[in-house]
Amino acid sequence: MDYSNLRRQITFMKKSFFDQGYLDEQFHQLEELQDESSPNFVEEVVVLFLKDSPRLLSNIEQTIGKYPQDFYRLDSLVHQLKGSGSSIGAVRMKNECSVFKAHCNDRNLEGCRRSLQKMKREHATLKQKLESYFQLLRQVGPREHAVNSRN
Amino acid sequence: MAPPEEAGGGDQFPVGMKVLVVDDDQTCLAVLKRMLIQCRYDATTCSQATRALAMLRENRGAFDVIISDVHMPDMNGFRLLELVGLEMDLPVIMMSADSRTDLVMKGIKHGACDYLIKPVRMEELKNIWQHVVRKKFGGNKEHEHSGSLDDTDRNRPTNNDNEYASSANDGAEDSWKSQKKKRDKEEDDSELESGDPSNNSKKPRVVWSVELHQQFVNAVNHLGIDKAVPKKILELMNVPGLTRENVASHLQKFRLYLKRIAQHHAGMGNPYGVPASSAQVASLGGLDFQALAASGQIPPQALAALQDELLGRPTNNLVLPGRDQSSLRLAAVKGNKPHGEQIAFGQPIYKVQNNSYAALPQNSPAVGRMPSFSAWPNNKLGMADSMSALGNVNNSQNSNIGLHELQQQPDTMLSGTLHTLDVKPSGIVMPSQSLNTFPASEGLSPNQNPLIVPSQSSGYLTGIPPSMKPELVLPTSQSSNNLLGGIDLINQASTSQPFISSHGGNLSGLMNRNSNVIPSQGISNFQTGNTPYLVNQNSMGMGSKPPGVLKTESTDSLNQSYGYVNHMDSGLLSSQSKNAQFGFLQSPNDVTGGWSSLQNMDCFRNTVGPSQPVSSSSSFHSSNAALGKLPDQGRGKNLGFVGKGTCIPNRFAVDEIESPTNSLSHSIGSSGDIPDMFGFSGQM
Repeated sequence: MDYSNLRRQITFMKKSFFDQGYLDEQFHQLEELQDESSPNFVEEVVVLFLKDSPRLLSNIEQTIGKYPQDFYRLDSLVHQLKGSGSSIGAVRMKNECSVFKAHCNDRNLEGCRRSLQKMKREHATLKQKLESYFQLLRQVGPREHAVNSRN
Repeated sequence: MAPPEEAGGGDQFPVGMKVLVVDDDQTCLAVLKRMLIQCRYDATTCSQATRALAMLRENRGAFDVIISDVHMPDMNGFRLLELVGLEMDLPVIMMSADSRTDLVMKGIKHGACDYLIKPVRMEELKNIWQHVVRKKFGGNKEHEHSGSLDDTDRNRPTNNDNEYASSANDGAEDSWKSQKKKRDKEEDDSELESGDPSNNSKKPRVVWSVELHQQFVNAVNHLGIDKAVPKKILELMNVPGLTRENVASHLQKFRLYLKRIAQHHAGMGNPYGVPASSAQVASLGGLDFQALAASGQIPPQALAALQDELLGRPTNNLVLPGRDQSSLRLAAVKGNKPHGEQIAFGQPIYKVQNNSYAALPQNSPAVGRMPSFSAWPNNKLGMADSMSALGNVNNSQNSNIGLHELQQQPDTMLSGTLHTLDVKPSGIVMPSQSLNTFPASEGLSPNQNPLIVPSQSSGYLTGIPPSMKPELVLPTSQSSNNLLGGIDLINQASTSQPFISSHGGNLSGLMNRNSNVIPSQGISNFQTGNTPYLVNQNSMGMGSKPPGVLKTESTDSLNQSYGYVNHMDSGLLSSQSKNAQFGFLQSPNDVTGGWSSLQNMDCFRNTVGPSQPVSSSSSFHSSNAALGKLPDQGRGKNLGFVGKGTCIPNRFAVDEIESPTNSLSHSIGSSGDIPDMFGFSGQM
């Protein structure tokens, strides 16, 4: 296998995440937390997030659909998603959550709906990107993996 | 002080510190846990608040610190925070993705040690161990553990001492200081032994009323300041319900007060108005305030309020509710030495000596024996300082007394004193240099300042027993006692309300405007009612009052503040600084009352320890300090004595001492210079 190529790909990919604003500094922090004692930490956390967030998103969707609207609950759910996303550095999602919360505050149901759609798209994109990323990482193997993490 | 090891349960603290993280978000939990482990802490995660609470209840010692999210499905994070704080008294750090100020505020108010915004960074987590240490060592004065807590408390005074030492050139001072330190140490030990281990900041506070303080002073006098140990004092006082700890902490403050007086006197050259070495003088001013406060004449709050009123400075709230804060504030105000916490604690100022007042201008008839202030050189409210000492009610103890005294003769004092002082309108009468002069407060031209803080303190003052007989302290004629002179007046006017304490809200006068006042644990006691007091920066509210106004209100306000203070007493007692703030809350009517307190302060000092070099000024000095040490510039402010006429706001006191020009200007209302320890911008 051409590790150097792979590594280049990985590096490029990761850089694009940051450049395009999908991820922020928090992701770097996660990478720094990864070490020999916890070699797959970043991936584990991302997996956790990707597992949890769909549940939250569907809860949000359900709540929006309910009548009478429960903006308080909506706000609470979005808040959770925001916290989650920020923990892994998913900045776009975090920002969209803020927008969503503002809509909740204004009791703007339509705005909430739009925000939700946006968030779902962001989530899907992020999920896809990160999954590819980790797949590549796995390909280069644990040793490389560690090296890459430091990049 | 016990090394942090004790707090952490390990020699390598904070390594191994046990952290419990509560958050319903699995992602966050995972990240936090990893981070905590990287910090070498021992991390446990829990996604349900109810389960976390159960774990804690089962074994309180299992964790050193809790980190909890705010939004959780089964329980509100704030609620968890409250419960943990109440039941287990463990430090709790809140966490949330929401950074809104009101939420953060809510967290603080509920007692959170810290509030982290998600995503939490490693750097933030690395420092959380300090909350554990702080809680253990700072919150529990009588912690049975190594005296670390006591050390903490004592450290502050000790630090102050150091500061004093630096500014005081008096060798005797040093010896006194070291004596004090030694004694403190002893006290620490003894306190530790007999202290109540379970005691912590939640203990109900003792209100050091005038009588109580007098008894205390009597006991101390009887034993001799060197030999006065809480146990013996307690025995002599024979007051049911009073604990050794209460006495110990009061004694600590008292010692500081004495020290300050000593330093102040040492440093003060000209009692009247000449702002003796600023630091000293300033402290004196503050001291006075404190002295007053200490003597329990003026409830800290009242003093603060007075100050506020007097100074007319909304921002500087001298009153420091929490002792930490207050002391710091006072220090700040003083400018020169961060006395740290307390402001001269005072001894009953009520023994004012006339002689010291000699210098005081006798303008005001009301003042009675108060020497006319005109003698004062620059408005330094020398008296102010002393007044502030009065005002400094370090802990409500003194203030109560002081205030009361001041109340007695608010008008006279005011008129008499005020005019001599050049106090600028702001009414901050900061006696310039020599605190000892009570006259300083006199200097405050009544019209100018609003020394009196009027507001609602009336209640407060009423609380003070009308006659503060200065039995305790025999005023020794010391020139430095100028303040005492003032105090004397107070004595005379037992019924006057020397201090006009601005109403709780205004008590803030003493309080630093900045948030120093944030109610800390200690302060919380009195916070409740007086929140404004504590935190108010503007409550000083004084600025708005025209000089004359104080008078009228003073009584009222004094009363209120008095009452207020009492209410806050618990808080006040604990924090010396708070008292300082009050320094002087005098009712405009009776300056004398206020004066007497000052004098007493000074006198007391004399009485207590002849050996001590402290001169009355020093006490005042300290009171200023207590007040929060007005910055050099704003000396006047420290008077902390906001009585009408008699009270010289701490601000004044301190400021005055420090720099004649500054102080006055400050006290009077210049707001610029004085660093606002008390939150005074110098505007009276």
